Amino acid sequence: MGLTMAETRKKVAELPDDSVIIYSAMYWDGEGTFYPPATALALIGEKANRPIVVGAETFLAPGGIGGFVLVPDLIGADAARLALRILDGEAPANIAPATGGVKPIFNWEQMQRWNVQEASLPAGSEIRFREPGLWEKYRWQSVTVISVLLLQAALIAILLHERKKRHGAEVESKHRMSELAHVNRSATAGDLSSSIAHELNQPLGSILTNTETAELILSCQSPDLDEVREILADIRRDDLRANEVIRRLRSFMKRTTFETRDIDLNELMREVFDFLSVQASARNVVLYLKASPEVIRVKGDRVQLQQVIINLIVNSMGALASIPYGRTVISRAELNGKKSAVVSISDSGPGIPPDRLTQIFDPFFTTKEQGMGIGLSIARTIVLAHQGRIWAENETEGGAVFHLSLPLSVA
Amino acid sequence: MPGMVHVVDDDASFRTAIERRLKKAGYTVATYPSAQQLLIHLPDDKEPGCILLDVRIPGLSGPELQGRLNELGSILPIVFLTGYADVQTTVRTIKAGAEDFLTKPVSSEQLLGAIERALAHHETLRAQRSKLDVVRAQIATLTPRERQVFELVVRGKINKQIAHELGTTERTIKAHRQQVMEKAKIQSLAELVSIAEHLGILPQTPEVGDSG
Repeated sequence: MGLTMAETRKKVAELPDDSVIIYSAMYWDGEGTFYPPATALALIGEKANRPIVVGAETFLAPGGIGGFVLVPDLIGADAARLALRILDGEAPANIAPATGGVKPIFNWEQMQRWNVQEASLPAGSEIRFREPGLWEKYRWQSVTVISVLLLQAALIAILLHERKKRHGAEVESKHRMSELAHVNRSATAGDLSSSIAHELNQPLGSILTNTETAELILSCQSPDLDEVREILADIRRDDLRANEVIRRLRSFMKRTTFETRDIDLNELMREVFDFLSVQASARNVVLYLKASPEVIRVKGDRVQLQQVIINLIVNSMGALASIPYGRTVISRAELNGKKSAVVSISDSGPGIPPDRLTQIFDPFFTTKEQGMGIGLSIARTIVLAHQGRIWAENETEGGAVFHLSLPLSVA
Repeated sequence: MPGMVHVVDDDASFRTAIERRLKKAGYTVATYPSAQQLLIHLPDDKEPGCILLDVRIPGLSGPELQGRLNELGSILPIVFLTGYADVQTTVRTIKAGAEDFLTKPVSSEQLLGAIERALAHHETLRAQRSKLDVVRAQIATLTPRERQVFELVVRGKINKQIAHELGTTERTIKAHRQQVMEKAKIQSLAELVSIAEHLGILPQTPEVGDSG
């Protein structure tokens, strides 16, 4: 052909699509440069735009796609067998010439390059230089990684399930707590019923008496209308007072679900004190409230936190029943650093026996004859639900003091 | 019946209302915001009057004030008035001599009825007390010897026993006895015994088998 290697390389790069290169062997190019045939094939193969079909097994590696190739190993073995038969004394004329030594063998790399499917190869083809897949290459590593992933997935699934169950339990327990808190409030309201009746009948009594007086005045010949006006103003004021008592009671008795809001702790305690003032005076207890000078904001459920403080004060008032005079309950609200607020309720009672300081918060623990033993335990449950703490101690100068610490709401 | 009603109630609004109503009914009214205030301005129980007392008042409670007044010997009848009447308190105050026990809201009819009864009762108590005061004064004029004879006579001793006990003659005892009846301005032995009982010289239930 007389083409130089460079020309050949150029030519094979421009072959039409329906062509194929068949390479037998090339030793010299047009310029007379010597190439070992495998090297020449490699150089051509580099540039060829079509697959190169080869006739010998040895050309597979340098870049041939393959074909029905001569396999030197097989030919050698056949030749050796024939030679042995002749050496054994068989007449060479009787021996048929060997026809084997040709096999369809293909190069996997080239098949990939020219996009030849394995299925389109002749039956019985052998594929050489097949790249092992990731799977074959890293079998045990893959098994390990996959099993770790599976284990992880299972673990995550279990944890998610647990989380869901836990969330369900939390919702349930909050619900239960709301229910129990309502029962406790009803019981407290029952205890306070005489106070409430008293508080309500006070304005009602004034209203009735004033009304009858007004009727009396109006039945006179020349009624003193100014006095009637004065009486009517009194009646209006007492009516609003009675209304306020009922409003407070209703807001206390309202059956609510747990809802968190920003609460002004000082204001909350003042409301509780208003609510308990009559009860306290009936029991001859003096209530002092020392509000904090700063505004204290906590996050929580208003009704339930009120209940905690009511329970603690009612409990303290109960402890004072046994002492004849000087019955005092002092409540303080103060900031404790930047993270929490502490409410303290101290009484002038006999104090708590030291071995019962923690026991008193247990459900159904009571020292009172008619107590249910749920007031303090509910207080603790509510405080814990607010991420707070509650504890009791005895003061050195006598009396018990209950503390509760609540996290401040972040502004 | 005119009289002075002492109203003790911590509720200013109620004090005003009740004062207005009672004045319209013709009573004189004094109001006190607490039991202590009434003890400081202790009402004169010689004048016709009664006390209208709230059960639940801060400081000294209604029943406690009642106890204090009893100790002080006040005979002013007490009408309790409360916003909530529990059985225990009611029984306790009535046992301690309360005139009546009313619950707020109270109608004028009920209230004025109770006050009328209280004033009438006070009238009776005052009359009894003044009669007793007279007798007490008369008994106070007895000589020590006459007093001894008086005390033995009302215990049912006969002259002979008394003479023996005091170491004197029956005749002397007879003369002392005459003197006692005259000074006490009474005619019968029965009356003398009754006076002794009222003045607390004799126990209300006679002792049995007292040999002196």
